[in-house]
Amino acid sequence: MSRIPLRWRLLGPLLLLMGAVVAYPLGYSAWLSLTNRTITSPDTEVVALKNYTSLLSDGDYGTAMRNTLVFVLFAVACELVIGLALALALQRQRWARDATRAFLLTPMFVTPIAVGLMFRFLLNQQLGPIPSLLGGIGVTIDFFGPHLALPTIIAIDVWQWTPFMVLLLLAGLESLPTQPFEAARVDGASWWLTFRSVTLPLLRPVIAIAVLLRALDAFKIFEYVFATTRGGPGNATDTLQFLIYRTGFNFFRLGEAAAMGFVLVGVVLLLVIVLYRTLLRQEARA
Amino acid sequence: MSRLGRRLFLLVAAVVVAFPYAWVLMAAFKAPEDLNDPSKLSFTPTFDNWRAVGDSHVLGSAGTSVAVGLSTVAIALVAGTLGAYAISRFRAGGATTRFGILLSQVMPPAVLVVPLFLVAFNLGMRDTVQAVVAAHLTFVLPVVTWFLIGFFDAVPMAFEEQAMVDGQTRFGAFRRVVLPQVLPGIGAAGIFAFVLSWNDLFYALILAGGNTTTLPVKIASFDTFRGVELGTMSAAILVSVVPVFVACFFVQRRLVRGLSGGGLKY
Amino acid sequence: MATITLQGLQKRYGDVEAVHALDLEIPDGEVTVLVGPSGCGKTTTLRLIAGLETASGGAITIGERDVTRLEPKDRDLAMVFQNYALYPHMSVRDNIAFGLKARKTSKAESDRRVAEAARLLSVDHLLARKPGALSGGQQQRVAIGRAIVREPAAFLFDEPLSNLDAKLRVEMRAEILRLQRRLDATIVHVTHDQEEAMTLAHRVVVMNGGRIEQIGTPAEVYRQPASEFVARFIGSPELNVLETARAHAVLGLNDPRGAARVGIRPEEIQLASAVPADEAVARFTARLDVMELVGAQAILTFVLPDEERVRALVDARTAGRLAEGQDVELAIAGDGLLRFDADGRRVP
Repeated sequence: MSRIPLRWRLLGPLLLLMGAVVAYPLGYSAWLSLTNRTITSPDTEVVALKNYTSLLSDGDYGTAMRNTLVFVLFAVACELVIGLALALALQRQRWARDATRAFLLTPMFVTPIAVGLMFRFLLNQQLGPIPSLLGGIGVTIDFFGPHLALPTIIAIDVWQWTPFMVLLLLAGLESLPTQPFEAARVDGASWWLTFRSVTLPLLRPVIAIAVLLRALDAFKIFEYVFATTRGGPGNATDTLQFLIYRTGFNFFRLGEAAAMGFVLVGVVLLLVIVLYRTLLRQEARA
Repeated sequence: MSRLGRRLFLLVAAVVVAFPYAWVLMAAFKAPEDLNDPSKLSFTPTFDNWRAVGDSHVLGSAGTSVAVGLSTVAIALVAGTLGAYAISRFRAGGATTRFGILLSQVMPPAVLVVPLFLVAFNLGMRDTVQAVVAAHLTFVLPVVTWFLIGFFDAVPMAFEEQAMVDGQTRFGAFRRVVLPQVLPGIGAAGIFAFVLSWNDLFYALILAGGNTTTLPVKIASFDTFRGVELGTMSAAILVSVVPVFVACFFVQRRLVRGLSGGGLKY
Repeated sequence: MATITLQGLQKRYGDVEAVHALDLEIPDGEVTVLVGPSGCGKTTTLRLIAGLETASGGAITIGERDVTRLEPKDRDLAMVFQNYALYPHMSVRDNIAFGLKARKTSKAESDRRVAEAARLLSVDHLLARKPGALSGGQQQRVAIGRAIVREPAAFLFDEPLSNLDAKLRVEMRAEILRLQRRLDATIVHVTHDQEEAMTLAHRVVVMNGGRIEQIGTPAEVYRQPASEFVARFIGSPELNVLETARAHAVLGLNDPRGAARVGIRPEEIQLASAVPADEAVARFTARLDVMELVGAQAILTFVLPDEERVRALVDARTAGRLAEGQDVELAIAGDGLLRFDADGRRVP
């Protein structure tokens, strides 16, 4: 025992566990994605890349991919803009400072399925207060209709996760050195010039991290869809994670679901690399 | 931004945040006939919904969630703390390990759930707490380790060197000098990990949707839109939300440092 | 360039009064140095002048204008910060031009002034670089360049030399003086380093506990300090201070004039053999405890018979003949004795 170096003894448990719950399933999944494995039939054949090639012509998969990308792009963009505005406002807020902050951050801690159900309830045509209020001024909106269902789900994500942006950006803002801002004040820079030329560039690494973390998490969108639309109407709100859930556990086509999962991994990795290059590398050169 | 504009903006944000809470809180005390009319603001509070929550095994599910959360966190903290220290100080496993941990955080649950399901199925562990714990470890382990690498990186090596010169073993220096300094960080990571586990629906739904339901799965099961269930669901939502609010209130600050892997000072 | 006047300037943080009713005139075209230990209010005073802090009372006038309630940008001042406050993501050129951009100066005019300032400070070859790629001294020059291009009414320097190593600090001191003469600039400079204050200043303002202890030329604050605090703070090694009774008993110093304490500059304690009999104020014997050589001079610490310690600053060659532990005949030369009353005020 003592001949094994301390470092490996410390790292060992972590590596074993990660191997058991991440690496092994990942390998297993890779193999499954090359088979036609289903839960219902015991006969499993290796079908090579057929699961992947059939995805290319699968309209449902294409729609789910498009919905997921639209969802991630718009949700994260809205969260960044609103989050930055809120962080700037909170940074200068003195009155009831801690209470305001703590309260505005609470949505990110609510169980996502509860958030989904809450909004399904709030926006429900018959029982929801929001359509009822809008009805009072003569506006009728079907929040879960074919055109608005995806934007509604984006709005739910914005409600829950903008606080996460605020948390990171506010921390970033408050850890910036004060002297560049004082120098800008003495130099006579306007609020806008200071924001554009000093705040944003200094905050860039924090923004990069926040966007990256949010985008990666947004790809896992499942609960809101499960709670509100179940992918409908039609497949207007079908997302990758939800489609994989249905394929694997409603239709029991495990091999196909595994292949879908791997394509998703590819997309996510691509995103990580692109974001990393555009946002973080520029900082390194500065 | 003018002062008035700023305050108005924050006020609007606070209202947007508060509105759903207020509505759910109200619904939890409304009788079915009051729920049918959203414009009705005055009503006689009733505790029927809470009684229904008591009868519908919501508390049992909450118990399951606690059991899953605590087991996941305990395992993750022990393995994560030791591993993170090895990675932070000895560069154990090199860049590959660090990158592997970062990558595991990125892994969509959709790609892991199929094999986990099959393994649980083959081992006869479907619908057990153990299966859910294993699944939750897939995302809790990398997050906790990532948090702690950042916290360990922030402790200067000089502390251990001092301790070793003073006669501690390498492990003794870790246990007596470094660990106490990182303890608040470990606490924050643990609470955060618990919240992640507590909030998960995806894995719990697929791996244990039968007798071992966790709270999110139970809440999702109220998803039939007849008025009666709406009130009960609201009460159940409150059950799930309150403990998380309390827990998170204490870890907000450290959360930031952890999330960015120590790359961001707070 | 303009004169800056502070009248009854006050700053309170809650119950703590950081600056007490300060009256000060900073003359046009001169270097005024605010000096004092940390917490004496010198930086707060500078930040009040800059407008980065709001005065709790009193008035600030620049030239003819009352600027007490004005925003920093409207005061027409330029400031150089302790950590230079260069924007890390901008090139040196953009850093220097930032203040001009903020004031919407034309591109041609801005380019001309940046080029001129860069040449003046010998950073013209660095204009395309980012601050991270510069040495400390170069960053310092860029920070000064950023202030110069503005052509402000006055310059405010907040401990700009404290992050430089000792050798560079001396070079930059000379550089600042050269620039000041050339631009005929009004400079308010804050430092905790009394040597820096003495070399840079036309006028030294010694501060303590949020109040001004003394305003005067470097020679005045050294030769005629207003108080024991000033006398101790200015000058290195520090002034020797003895209770009058002890000075009489141990040193045989006969000249109390009703003072409570007597101060003796270290350079006025010399080996008895080096002081002509008629110039010596007092003679005594003490044991040499520690000898520190600093180039041409040596700092000697002596233990008096009553265990009190005094320090002397002597010629290194003289000191070379002595050994630690040895009893030495000493004399107090000249008439530079400083006398203080019980409240620490100097009595003539």
